[in-house]
Amino acid sequence: MLSMPLPLFFEQIINGIVLGSMYALVASGLTLIWGTMRMLNFAHGEFYMLGGYFFFLLISSLGFSAALAIPIAISLVFVVGLAVQRIAVHPLLGRPQWEFSTLVATLGVSIFLQNAALHIWGERFKTVPYFINGTIDIVGMRLSYQRLLILAVAVIAMLAMWYLLRRTRFGMALRATAMDRDAAMLYGVNVYRVFTMTFGIAAALAGLAATMLSSINSISPWMGAPLMLKGFVVVVLGGLGSFPGAILGGIIIGIVETLGVITWSSQWREVISFTVLILILWFRPWGIFGVKES
Amino acid sequence: MTTPENQKPLNNLFILIALAVVFCLVPLVTQEAYFLHICILALLFGALASSWNLINGYAGIFTFGHQAFFGLGAYGSALMSMRLGLSPWLTMWAAGLMSAALGLVISLPVLRIRSIPHIAIVTLAFAEIVRIVCSNLTDFTRGELGLWGIPPFTSFLLPLVGDVTFDAAHKVAYFYVVILLWLLIVGATYWILRSRFGFGLRAIRDSQIAAESLGVHLTRYKTLVFGFSSFLAGILGAFYAHYVLILTPSSALGIDIMIQIVAMTLIGGIGRLLGPTIGAFILTLGLEWLRGFGEYRMLIYGVLLVLIVMFLPKGLASMRLGFLRRQTTGKIPT
Repeated sequence: MLSMPLPLFFEQIINGIVLGSMYALVASGLTLIWGTMRMLNFAHGEFYMLGGYFFFLLISSLGFSAALAIPIAISLVFVVGLAVQRIAVHPLLGRPQWEFSTLVATLGVSIFLQNAALHIWGERFKTVPYFINGTIDIVGMRLSYQRLLILAVAVIAMLAMWYLLRRTRFGMALRATAMDRDAAMLYGVNVYRVFTMTFGIAAALAGLAATMLSSINSISPWMGAPLMLKGFVVVVLGGLGSFPGAILGGIIIGIVETLGVITWSSQWREVISFTVLILILWFRPWGIFGVKES
Repeated sequence: MTTPENQKPLNNLFILIALAVVFCLVPLVTQEAYFLHICILALLFGALASSWNLINGYAGIFTFGHQAFFGLGAYGSALMSMRLGLSPWLTMWAAGLMSAALGLVISLPVLRIRSIPHIAIVTLAFAEIVRIVCSNLTDFTRGELGLWGIPPFTSFLLPLVGDVTFDAAHKVAYFYVVILLWLLIVGATYWILRSRFGFGLRAIRDSQIAAESLGVHLTRYKTLVFGFSSFLAGILGAFYAHYVLILTPSSALGIDIMIQIVAMTLIGGIGRLLGPTIGAFILTLGLEWLRGFGEYRMLIYGVLLVLIVMFLPKGLASMRLGFLRRQTTGKIPT
């Protein structure tokens, strides 16, 4: 790593940021769900997987352009997210031991969706072509347009989320619910509607990440689980429930992995990020942006 | 959460011994290899889920990386017996100690964390590290190609019974070993629950702050239960290795094992002595029964998990044992 020429080093940093921005999209959904509902969603990887498949089907079977297929695929995943919350999670909320039972219920949903995908679409890996080909050279760094586009989309999505959370009535309701559910209820916030919408939005963010990454990684029924694990790492690293934490955590993990992979080898990628997670939690158990437990 | 183990300690011991006797009688009725194989797996997973129940159900620490200790025991015992030529009867315990040591290491970061999801994710990340390291060290473990050529348990001569042989055709010997392991683990749990240590664990589960203020040494209790539970999982992993005789990182260290453990414990009843065993039998037999549905098997499995947490939140042990207990309380003076 130290013997690497400087432009190549910065090129890898930018690649890491691109990868990390996708981790951030997946992680921010998990953090929203934790923030409002105080639960872990183990079906999150399957939202990501469905996003990939919907996108693939729209492009290859129906012949849609990417610009049209992306919003449709995201909307479909959004609807799946709403349905999962209503059917599997909503009845459990507030019951004794619901932190644990929602976790198992979402695991059940994950097993169901993963095997449904395997059953419907088969186990062959699918690929989607790049949206734009070609690379650009900036001061000695070679960057592909595809990756720059992914970064731009991630930035736009994050700004949109920031606007939604900070500047709209729904965002206020969501943040109020996250702070104190009972108080929000007293002020007339329909917290159950907030819960359902949060699930939908989180699913849509995972779906967006999937459409972006589908041309780089391939699409398969098992594509979700590794990304969900990565999402959990990022969320815990940044502090559960913290939106900026999810973004920063995603970028840190993205850069650490990219640099780690060229220093060692790609099969150690997950080991690197998981070790970083354990070490950080050892010394700062509440994460980078999280609030220390009382 | 109620702890009926305190109030009616004798009943559970009776049920435990009665179950063990019933299991021991099974080979006298049938020695059909497939049936015994299912029973061996059910008991193995019942014991594994019981060892996890000790941490999660009683101490209330929700770990999600128990497969690491199972798999390490499996690979450890298999490699020791293959490379060093030691008897699996010896390497089994050595592998258990290895898992216990690993459990103590991972308990260190966990000690500092109290929130449920953080502990779940740290332990899961740790188990994934173990799995990936195991599949990357191909020179040593053969990675995803699978470690084969693991020696079965060495045969021995038992007085009065004759030769006890362990091979694929003779599942009866394995069956008795797994009954013994199961009895050892559930019996140890029973004994722990009645000891000072067990009361301390449940105090930690109900409130860490209250437990600490009453003089429960949190660090000591947590590390001890972590180490002991990992030790048990390691021994079970070693048994698994010398039983199936082929290991892959995903079969012995995959997250699927953890999902099975959680599902079994939950179906049977979390924080109950026999809950995990009941859950293991229902799930193992149920999954075999679902084979009739072919490709839809795992789909139905996923739906069932959701339905069970929705409609049977306390698990089946709460229903069945409650029923038995009402019947027996009149007869047994306690």
